[in-house]
Amino acid sequence: MPLKERKVGAVHVLRLEGPLRGEEAVPFRDRLVQSVNASLGRCVVDGAAIPYVDSRGLEVLAEAGDELAQTGQSLKLCGLNETVRQVLELTELAPRFEFFADVNAAVRSFL
Amino acid sequence: MSDNPVVKSARGRRSGSWRGEWRFAAAGLLITAILLVSTGACAVWAERTQGQSLQGAHLDQVRGTGRLLAQAAEGLLAANELSALRRLVADSSQDLGLSLCRIALPDGQVVADAIPSNITHKDLPERWTGAVVEEGEAGKGIYVFPVVVPGRGNARLEMMAESPPATAAFWQVMNGMGAITILALAATMVAYRWMQGRLRALAAVRMALLAHNRGEVGPAALEVDAALGLEAKAWNQLLAHGAGQRKEDAIKKTRETLQARRQYTDHLASACDALSQGLVLVGRDLRAEYVNGAAAALLRTKRETMLGAEVASFLADDRIVSACRASTGEQMPRRTIIEVPREEAGGTTLLRFVIRPVRRDDWGVAMIIIEDITQQRVADQSRHAFVAQATHELRTPLTNIRLYAEMALDEGKQDTAVVSNCLNIINQETFRLDRIVGDILAIAEIEAGTMSLQQDDVRLEELFLELRTDYAAQADEAKIKLLFNLPPKLPIIKGDREKIRLAIHNLLGNALKYTPAGGQVTVGAAVDRGRLVVDVVDTGIGMSEEDSHRVFDKFYRAKDPRVGKIKGSGLGLAIAREVVRLHGGDITAQSELDKGSTFTLVLPIPETVN
Repeated sequence: MPLKERKVGAVHVLRLEGPLRGEEAVPFRDRLVQSVNASLGRCVVDGAAIPYVDSRGLEVLAEAGDELAQTGQSLKLCGLNETVRQVLELTELAPRFEFFADVNAAVRSFL
Repeated sequence: MSDNPVVKSARGRRSGSWRGEWRFAAAGLLITAILLVSTGACAVWAERTQGQSLQGAHLDQVRGTGRLLAQAAEGLLAANELSALRRLVADSSQDLGLSLCRIALPDGQVVADAIPSNITHKDLPERWTGAVVEEGEAGKGIYVFPVVVPGRGNARLEMMAESPPATAAFWQVMNGMGAITILALAATMVAYRWMQGRLRALAAVRMALLAHNRGEVGPAALEVDAALGLEAKAWNQLLAHGAGQRKEDAIKKTRETLQARRQYTDHLASACDALSQGLVLVGRDLRAEYVNGAAAALLRTKRETMLGAEVASFLADDRIVSACRASTGEQMPRRTIIEVPREEAGGTTLLRFVIRPVRRDDWGVAMIIIEDITQQRVADQSRHAFVAQATHELRTPLTNIRLYAEMALDEGKQDTAVVSNCLNIINQETFRLDRIVGDILAIAEIEAGTMSLQQDDVRLEELFLELRTDYAAQADEAKIKLLFNLPPKLPIIKGDREKIRLAIHNLLGNALKYTPAGGQVTVGAAVDRGRLVVDVVDTGIGMSEEDSHRVFDKFYRAKDPRVGKIKGSGLGLAIAREVVRLHGGDITAQSELDKGSTFTLVLPIPETVN
């Protein structure tokens, strides 16, 4: 599961290329937590290349969202396809996240 | 013993309690007197009525017997049966209890009498004269009955009844009635004593009610002595129940108030925790009174550690501590803003602390608002750098245009070739200026998020054919071998055709630009796991590792002096990568100095198109 991290300004952008599923979600979670801690929450998950998310993936996203919510922040997801977005809506997890069309819009939200 | 004033009043001030009882006592005595008088009157009336009745009945009996005796006497006198007559008279007198019973002739001679010694005629005359008497009372209680003796004459029966023993009956009745009255009186007194106990309790309750009416509400003050009886106990229970009810109401109300306050506090705490800015309230003793979640996260500590701790222990900057001290003192500054950079593994983080006083009664607390402004600062710096770079990039062609325009004006009159050369350069610089302005606008759109993508069908085979056509001449001119390594069939993908074309053009243009004569540029394309992968491989000057990492930065030009000789704005690759990223793809670079570079463009291909 390719996982790429880059910085746009002071914002960490984590890009996952492939489905967020099963045990593959664990390294993603670790990397996300690490990135969130390193950037004081200035972190964006670029989900443009995530075709689908399973229950474990949803769990990981929800955990990260809750973790950030405790510090008044929220997990910013961008570029999600319609399928993933619908899954988040149907599982009522959507309110825990902020959604953006693309990385630039997500990064601008930190301004 | 109770010490409450009502009980003392009810018990100690007996006159007070009697004031409460005297009406009942007087009423009791009056009822008793009325009972006694009416009982006596009843006795007298009953005795008299009974006596009259008995006397009347006796007289009636005497009258009836007299009539019978008179008739019997007529027969016996006619038959001269004096002995029988005299026994009959004596028996009748004895039976009826008569004080007088006799038969007398008109001349007053007595021929028969209950008392034999009163008989004056032993023998009966043959005849005698005298009128017939009428039946009736002859005075002195003597009742007279006519006795007509055929063939002899008229006589009379005199009877006097004794009065019934009226006096003796009256006293018998009076004795009975007296005994009954005494018993009744005793019973009344017992009842009164019993009632008196009850009345004392009622009096105490009355006093309590009056005290309550005066405004006394304390249960202890209204309580009465339970020893006064059931009523007192019931009253105390009522008070206790009321007090308990009030207590429960008070507890319930307090609980509701506390619950509401707790909810308010919870809501407030939740609201503060929802803030992305850190919030710390510092008390007069310069210790943290409240810390929200963001503050703990931004200061990289735990909220529990911060709460109650001195500000200096978690904020090492003296300026912040001083500002807090000033804000909690009497002279409250409006607000103080302090920016503190912090070096961390991921780079420099810039935190902005806004310290402002919050007045609380006669002193204040300091509110510290902590904000992470790293991204803002980076964005500002980026914007400034962009403006500077853009200005520089625009100035270069503008300078050339101005210089060559002046040259054409100065020297063109004598030499038309110079004019032609100058105009040619001006023309090129104009195109360059146009391209730079276009690139700057594209970058501005990307950064502003206003760049929109068209959803076209991108026919990759046509796209690569255009590329081959466009760059074939340029490659030939530069003596570079341009190869296209394409599969026999390429898919049609969804995306913005012009922008994808721009991205691949930039990659190919750069490869040709930085590849010296005799070199080779290969364009390859393949579909791999739902992705379009385009490689542009050149055998050019390549890049150092540092340059490889920064090659996509805006306005970045490699430090290699060979690059400086080649015209370029440093925006092409930045634009290409942003455009591809907007499509959900990416561009990566691998390069080795003096050996060449490989730029790989990856674009996701939606399944629907496949």
